[in-house]
Amino acid sequence: MSATGGTVFLLDDEPGMLKALNRLLKAEGFTVRAFTSARAFVESYRQEVPSCLVLDVEMPELNGLELQQRLTSTENPLPVIFLTGRGDVPMSVNAMKAGAIDFLTKPVKDVDLLQAVRFALQRSAERHVVNSQVDSLRQRYSSLTPRECEVMALVVAGRLNKQIAAALGIVEHTVKVHRGRIMEKMSVNSLAELVRAAERLGRGNR
Amino acid sequence: MSWVTIVWSATASACLTLAAIHFLVWSYRRTAWADLLFGLTSVAVAIYAVLELAMMRAETPEQFATALRWIHVPTWVIVVSLVGFVRLHLRAGRAWLAWSICALRTLALMLNFLVGQNLNYREVTALRHIPFLGESVSTGVGVSNPWMLVGQLSLLLFFVFTVDAAFTVWRRGDRRRALVTGGSIVFFVLTGIAQSVLVLWQIVDWPLTESFFYLGIVLAMGYEVSREALRAARLSDDLHESEARMTLASEAAGFGVWIWTIATNRVWGSEQWRRLLGFATDATVSLEEVLERIHPDDREKVRSEVRRAGETGADFTGEYRVMLPDGAVRWIAAQGRGYADPHGKPARTLGAVIDVTGRKESERQIEQQREQLVHLGRVMNLSELSGSLAHEMNQPLAIILTNAQAAQRLLAQQPPDLAEARDILADIVSEDERAGEVIKRLRGLLKSGETQLLPLSANDLVQDVLRITRSDLLERGIRVHVALDSSVPPVVGDRIQLQQVLLNLTLNAGEAMAANPPSDRHLTLATVHCDGTVRISVSDTGCGLPPDAERVFEPFHTTKKEGLGLGLSICRSIARAHNARLWAEPTVAAGIPSAAATTSCGATFHLDLPAAAEGKP
Repeated sequence: MSATGGTVFLLDDEPGMLKALNRLLKAEGFTVRAFTSARAFVESYRQEVPSCLVLDVEMPELNGLELQQRLTSTENPLPVIFLTGRGDVPMSVNAMKAGAIDFLTKPVKDVDLLQAVRFALQRSAERHVVNSQVDSLRQRYSSLTPRECEVMALVVAGRLNKQIAAALGIVEHTVKVHRGRIMEKMSVNSLAELVRAAERLGRGNR
Repeated sequence: MSWVTIVWSATASACLTLAAIHFLVWSYRRTAWADLLFGLTSVAVAIYAVLELAMMRAETPEQFATALRWIHVPTWVIVVSLVGFVRLHLRAGRAWLAWSICALRTLALMLNFLVGQNLNYREVTALRHIPFLGESVSTGVGVSNPWMLVGQLSLLLFFVFTVDAAFTVWRRGDRRRALVTGGSIVFFVLTGIAQSVLVLWQIVDWPLTESFFYLGIVLAMGYEVSREALRAARLSDDLHESEARMTLASEAAGFGVWIWTIATNRVWGSEQWRRLLGFATDATVSLEEVLERIHPDDREKVRSEVRRAGETGADFTGEYRVMLPDGAVRWIAAQGRGYADPHGKPARTLGAVIDVTGRKESERQIEQQREQLVHLGRVMNLSELSGSLAHEMNQPLAIILTNAQAAQRLLAQQPPDLAEARDILADIVSEDERAGEVIKRLRGLLKSGETQLLPLSANDLVQDVLRITRSDLLERGIRVHVALDSSVPPVVGDRIQLQQVLLNLTLNAGEAMAANPPSDRHLTLATVHCDGTVRISVSDTGCGLPPDAERVFEPFHTTKKEGLGLGLSICRSIARAHNARLWAEPTVAAGIPSAAATTSCGATFHLDLPAAAEGKP
């Protein structure tokens, strides 16, 4: 993945460092958005795909770890790479636990940084794919009537048509009609596909 | 030989002898006007006696008249000299009377030569021989000259003048002098006038024997003047004795005494002085030779001090080094004063010196130990800061590395981005300089050197310390407030040592707030100028001071686990060496205008430095 792009957000209060990182990443063909304060970053942040954040931990005003927590708690988390001048162990453990891609110590080797950035962007892109699939499934699911939702839940749970009819107090034929509609609306061809879609929805709803 | 000849010749020769002695005295001491006037009077009386003898031995009226005419010349000298003697020696008598007497006497002298045969006779017509001391002497017979009154009036005025002068001397408390000198002059002048009036107006038959009365005056004067000589001799004895006592005392105390006489440029020095400066006992010494013994670094200062003292009569004190011929160096403490002659011209400078080499040496050792302790304190401060200082160094290195790697990539591209690579190199240079600055600051603080007092800006000191501690404060989550008064005048001090004080206070403040919640960690650094004092304040919102705030400055008082408790006591010693005051009070009381003084009380340290004197850079 050479000059294929992706957006790298840079956040460092040291202008010299910001400029140097900007140069390195631009030379590798990334789009770079650089900020010297966390406030400026939060104010102008718009989600882009794929993107990642390279963050200096020692920033006045806003703690780097705090910001990471804020960004990862959203629905579509931004992958974060930490840079630190000090790099003590407890801090790096916390960062990794909170889902950081990597925790790098200044001075950082260019290959290490670029590798981490690429990995983060890849993660960002994958997440995006997954998220968009879940989105369309959710849309389809929302087009089901309440009765169809009930039927689908029982189908996915592995009940036979006869059992479903008994449970819902309807005739078996009506269950078959509902099943056909559900397969059509969810655009799946087999029971196995429907089960997988339900699983993904379930995870997404959790 | 007749009695008359013997007595009058003896009178003349006695007067001449006295005159010779006092002329001699006057020739040694040109300021001894009394001796000169006494000599002149004596000579005049001798001549007067000779002319009187000539009158008594006159064989013709013309001879008599001529001798009487010339006798007025010594009379003039005697009267004028006596007036001068009273004015100069007794320092009494009215000036207008003195001038009137001289004027009348001069007029009488002129009339003597212009009117008639002399002042007393218009014409001496005959001689009369009368018996005197068992033989026959001549007196004149003739027409009296009325102008004689002028001369006698001058004598009368002289009588009044002397009486008045004698009273002045008496009132002044010098009764002996008033009686002996004033009284005898009054007595002999009065009797002299009486005799001359009786003889010259031809009321009694008696030869003129004025010289006896004048001799009386001369003897009284001689007694007075000789007393002066006696007193001088006694003074000189006393002086010798006091000098001996003085030498004994100064030798016992280790003092060396010296006198520089400006006119001869000779320096007299006591034995001890010669030993201290390494001069031989009998060597004659000039001021230049003395100055050559003084250490070149101190020489010009001593030269100007000694000259100034000599010229203005001022005191001088100083401590300087002397270099002995054998190469040894000695510290000398000196004190002296310039003296003028009676006319107010600078005459000599007197001084005393003492060897203070031992004291200087122990002073130097104490100062050296203090400096070592201060340095130790600084090294301890820096070891506390080592983590954040490493970070401070790391930052530029990281920037340089990243820039260099970016440049490698840019240059590997086709075509290479040379413009950007050039910018990168410029940035690398400036970051490298920044790293150099950090090292320089660090080296300055680690260096142990002598105290160097230079004019400094208090605001720069605060900024310097903030630069060193920035990283540390950031890590501790401390919010820094800076309130600098841009109008503070410079202070004089050692930059490194004053930085050390502020560094210590800042680090202490940081530690005092370690237990605070992160939102309540405020450090305020402020400068303010008030009445010639520049105050630098460091205040925190931390755990505060003990009830007796002074205790924090005691050595080995500490609240830290790994501290020695020397930091603040070292800061105190630095402040003292700068004539400054370092003290502490609760932050709330200090009224620091920041978000600070809210919940916790905290501590505020003030360093009060004297502002540098006006006009200095």
